[in-house]
Amino acid sequence: MNAVDQQNADEMVLSGRENGHRLPSRILEERIQQAVAEGHRRLRVEAFGQHGIGGRLWGAGGEPVHVIVEGHAGQRLGSLGFANTRIELMGPASDDVGWLNAGAAIVVHGNASNGVGNGMAQGRIRIGGSIGARGMTMTKHNPRFAPPELWVLGSVGDYFGEFMAGGIAVVCGVGPQNPGNVLGYRPFVGMVGGKVFFRGPHQGYSQADAKRVPIADGDWNWLMDRLPRFLAEIQRPELGEALCDRTQWQLIMARAPMERRGRPLRAMGDFHRTVWDAELGAGGLVGDLTQVPRTPIAVVTTGDLRRWVPVWENRQYTAPCEASCPTGIPVQERWALVRQGRVDEAVDLALAYTPFPAAVCGYLCPNLCMAACTKQSALMAPVDVTRLGRASIAARLPELPPLSGRRIAVIGGGPAGISVAWQLRRAGHEATIFDAAETLGGKMARAIPQSRIPAEVLEAEFERVRAVIPHTRLQEPLTPADVRQMAADYDAVVVAVGAARPRSLPIPGAERLVTALDFLAAAKTGTAHPGERVVVIGAGNVGCDVATEAHRLGARDITLVDVQEPASFGRERQAAEAVGARFRWPLFTREITGEGLVTTDGEILPADTVVISIGDSPDLSFLPETVSVVRGFVKVDDQFQTSDPKIFAIGDAVRPGLLTDAIGAGRRAAAAIVEVLAGRRPRTTARRMIDKQRMALAYFDPRVVAYESLDQCGAECASCGSCRDCGICAAVCPQTAIRREETAEGGWRYAADSERCIGCGFCAGACPCGIWDLVENEPLG
Amino acid sequence: MLADRPITPSTLSLKDLPWQIVWDREKCTLCGRCTAVCPVQAIELGVFRKRSVVPSLDPQRPPANSFATYYGIRQKTDPACRCVGCATCTLVCPNDAILPVHSDEADKLRFHINAGGQPRNRGGRRNVPGSILDRIKFTRISMLTDPALDAGRHEFELRTLLGRVLPPEKNLQFLRENGWIPPVREIYPLIIGGMSFGALSPNMWEALQLGVAYLNEELGIPVRICTGEGGCPPRLLRSRFLKYVILQIASGYFGWDEIIHAIPEMKEDPCAIEIKYGQGAKPGDGGLLMWYKVNRLIAAIRGVPAGVSLPSPPTHQTQYSIEESVAKMILSMSMAWGFRVPVYPKISGTSTAMAVLNNLTRNPYAAGLAIDGEDGGTGAAYNVSMDHMGHPIASNIRDGYKTLVELGQQNEIPLFAGGGIGKSGNLAANAAALIMLGASGVQVGKSIMQAAAGCVGSESDRCNICNIGQCPKGITSQDPRLYRRLDVDAVAQRLVDTVLSFDTELKKIVAPLGRSTSLPIGMADAIGIDDAHAAGRLDIRFVV
Repeated sequence: MNAVDQQNADEMVLSGRENGHRLPSRILEERIQQAVAEGHRRLRVEAFGQHGIGGRLWGAGGEPVHVIVEGHAGQRLGSLGFANTRIELMGPASDDVGWLNAGAAIVVHGNASNGVGNGMAQGRIRIGGSIGARGMTMTKHNPRFAPPELWVLGSVGDYFGEFMAGGIAVVCGVGPQNPGNVLGYRPFVGMVGGKVFFRGPHQGYSQADAKRVPIADGDWNWLMDRLPRFLAEIQRPELGEALCDRTQWQLIMARAPMERRGRPLRAMGDFHRTVWDAELGAGGLVGDLTQVPRTPIAVVTTGDLRRWVPVWENRQYTAPCEASCPTGIPVQERWALVRQGRVDEAVDLALAYTPFPAAVCGYLCPNLCMAACTKQSALMAPVDVTRLGRASIAARLPELPPLSGRRIAVIGGGPAGISVAWQLRRAGHEATIFDAAETLGGKMARAIPQSRIPAEVLEAEFERVRAVIPHTRLQEPLTPADVRQMAADYDAVVVAVGAARPRSLPIPGAERLVTALDFLAAAKTGTAHPGERVVVIGAGNVGCDVATEAHRLGARDITLVDVQEPASFGRERQAAEAVGARFRWPLFTREITGEGLVTTDGEILPADTVVISIGDSPDLSFLPETVSVVRGFVKVDDQFQTSDPKIFAIGDAVRPGLLTDAIGAGRRAAAAIVEVLAGRRPRTTARRMIDKQRMALAYFDPRVVAYESLDQCGAECASCGSCRDCGICAAVCPQTAIRREETAEGGWRYAADSERCIGCGFCAGACPCGIWDLVENEPLG
Repeated sequence: MLADRPITPSTLSLKDLPWQIVWDREKCTLCGRCTAVCPVQAIELGVFRKRSVVPSLDPQRPPANSFATYYGIRQKTDPACRCVGCATCTLVCPNDAILPVHSDEADKLRFHINAGGQPRNRGGRRNVPGSILDRIKFTRISMLTDPALDAGRHEFELRTLLGRVLPPEKNLQFLRENGWIPPVREIYPLIIGGMSFGALSPNMWEALQLGVAYLNEELGIPVRICTGEGGCPPRLLRSRFLKYVILQIASGYFGWDEIIHAIPEMKEDPCAIEIKYGQGAKPGDGGLLMWYKVNRLIAAIRGVPAGVSLPSPPTHQTQYSIEESVAKMILSMSMAWGFRVPVYPKISGTSTAMAVLNNLTRNPYAAGLAIDGEDGGTGAAYNVSMDHMGHPIASNIRDGYKTLVELGQQNEIPLFAGGGIGKSGNLAANAAALIMLGASGVQVGKSIMQAAAGCVGSESDRCNICNIGQCPKGITSQDPRLYRRLDVDAVAQRLVDTVLSFDTELKKIVAPLGRSTSLPIGMADAIGIDDAHAAGRLDIRFVV
């Protein structure tokens, strides 16, 4: 027997049909397995649509088995095929040829439908025609074995190579079903491994998963090595030459995980430029409406792009001390001079504001500046201005300007009158004080007990005043006609007569009362003799002065009575209490007798002297009718101008107040008069008080309760609103944007370089004096 | 505050504020960036004093005190400068030394943001986290029953219809009698809801428009965007991109003269016209663009002088009823574009929505109805409107859809749902839930701002200062110093990424239903919820 005959003799023929009936797939499978078990290694199967023919033939123990299938093979030809198996289908195939093929070599002499090689991991499938959809899908490559192969002579259907994870497919493109597309619709979606050789046109594939690569020599050699065998198997060897043109072949491989991308997308910037702006015009959507640049910027910016900018607001606000001083003395400026070692200038500076820097600031004033001191807001001791006040006894009078020829009459030589005359003279105008007293000074000279202020201090300051201000002593009380004449003769008249008329009580025995003013004046000149027991009606500060003076003059039983809680405070009250004065209230007086004061309850307070100290009112009987008087006081406007434009009024004649109130009124009235004489509208000061929270008090020692020296006061002053030139801002600036500059006037200023500054506001936060502020930058766009 | 000052009823401590700045002295390098970028100046450099006592029992060395001064970051307690928790300080801190932390209890500030009798006004959203939409599950996962699709492999073309879909016989009748049938657009079911030029910064507005153009022209995803009520830049009106735009008209009528002037020059019709009657975030309340946001650019687009406040009243002032509004406005807007453009009203979620819908069903010109639920956002509104007024969108949409079903018109007049979609980050799930409850599509705003531009607002009252023009991300500011923080291209790219991922997630949800082209609108048997009452109210499955 020749080899072929031998083969035929060994061949086992199995028919899928028996007695005119189709065998179930299960029966045919059993017979095939039986034949193999019996030792048959060449089977010829006449198929009648049975499924799964040729798979699972491991029963041969590794010996080669050749299955030839004729007729109509059903689905899954050679599924779960084993490596020993060779299956040859002599016609076209149904679905899922080689499903889960684990090594079988399958040849189809015709077309195959959907699902060829689905899930195949080893083996070869060779198709002599074209295949349907979803070929070579879910294929694997186990490194222990050679990769699976799918060879297709024609074309492949849609969704080829989905989720392909390994193996090699070759699509020869010979006689394709669709000559325009040998790879079908949407191939290689989800492909992660393997490669595909193909020949002929395609209509795109999943760029996200697969990529075309040049055919390397190794690949080409692989293809050319195996191509003849494929053509031989499908009995088309004549095609060999036509398929050897390397230029006709292409190779597709899966992208590596790093190469995968969602889609080939155009860069947004490119779209913006070439599509968006091309349609809309330069600048895009609003390029025609605004020229403001809109390109991205950093979050932290400098220059014009800062949202906030620091401003150095030196002296833009008044310090709380200055703002609360009725006289308006810039206390913090004086401390600044002290810090700079210019104590003399600090002392002299006061004379620009008050003729009595020593007497008032140092002794007589309740020092509202200290009450308002920023340091008080942190329960720290206020800077002690009385030290500076007392040192001001040495203040030197500045050189006075030559006289302008303008003349002002000032009626009244008390602190208000002296203040206004002082300031007018400093402004170059001649101000003459008209007063009935022998010397200038008013109540300040006559009614303040010596215990409150050393006589030499008062005298020194009056001396300084007298040297500057002419005084005309009035021999007779003024009349309205006199004042009208004055108004005609002078450029302006200032009424500063104070409140010289003591108030009294309409009670029996009122004639026995001694007025506080009379008592204090007499006490000062040494002519008062109050006796042992003194009762003072009215327990205010003047009453306290009376009590203190009475004690000095020998009184030992001193009682101050009031109808309400006494209004006295400060040094006067302390002094009265120190001499043992009793305060009784509420207590109402019925009469004064030789024994003393009789209350409405009938109690007798024995007294050698009963002093009445319930305030004074101005005597304004001399004023002409052109000057309005309301409730006993002269009516003035903000500039202290009365209803008669040439006549001004200040001090207690206008409103009862402290010495500092009278002095301040004199200063501001003088400023107004200067303006009016110059033909200008009087100015009002616009500077506001600084917000106390702007100062940083954490720099100061909170345990300082008293100040030892002027220097210490200067050092501990917070210098509210006035730069102390400490350099903290420049040091704390994270951008080193702040630098100190000398000014042409010999001063200094700090400035922030806008090109370095980021607007953090650290300067404002760190500044001990509250100079830096952070404000919104100028609007853009 | 200074310790010796008297307190007022509204004097607050740090503990009383909603956000506390936690600052680490060890880590801080005092670089100044945090205070430079704080939108509300809630923090400043502080000078601190540190006292040390040196004790001693030795009479030769008496006990002593010493003081040191150091610098640090101090948080202000003034309500006007309260920390809003935006964490821009944290963003710029090189050493991670600063972080706003939410108070561990309800703040006291809320009782005091009414100085002068002015109740709290803010931007943002309802300060209530979570949403019923997040609890809706997609319970119908077909494996072998329906032809299930693979979202990763199959091709989808998820589209919805905006416009009046008349029954065929009616359409034919219309065509015969009028030579015209109602216009219908096939669009993507995700619409970027109305946010005006003015409420948004120029960079934000342009970025969204740019991203939409990209989605349409590069990716073929027909996303549409509504202008909001603030006009429309003239260049956009005259560009082909107008077809991606829904023009909004609302009670302030801003910018409409410019739109009218542009009509003869338009290359394309707009996608649609939305007539805004209400906004979910602030139902019954109008809008107000403060004068300081009305710079020259805003003024030019809105057709007003610069530097004036621009109120939009709560109602259209010359229209008093549904009939009138529908009759007048829908008809007039339809006429403006020769009946080629769909016109639909937008209302805030309300228990009266069915009355509006019923009316629209009888008006063949009405192209749809957009309903904006209580979880919508806004640039500025009264807190009470935002937190307490409005209607949840889920039941409103469901009722609307069922009403249409009763009328047999569920495929004829599309409902669009807005308000809080994606508020917890579940944009696609929320959208799909609403679609299955009966919406034809969704309108989203806030979640786009969060995803595309990094908006830091939250339902825990974080940031929410859109109203004062100090948006730390530059989204709602008209100040170039702030809005230039937004890179237009980067925001547009983020929008594209967001829509693409939304698209994939939506596919994942509808693929098991075998849907790849037509949306499962009203397919309520595919969803369930683990709350029997909600299930009953929404007429969906109760699943536990």
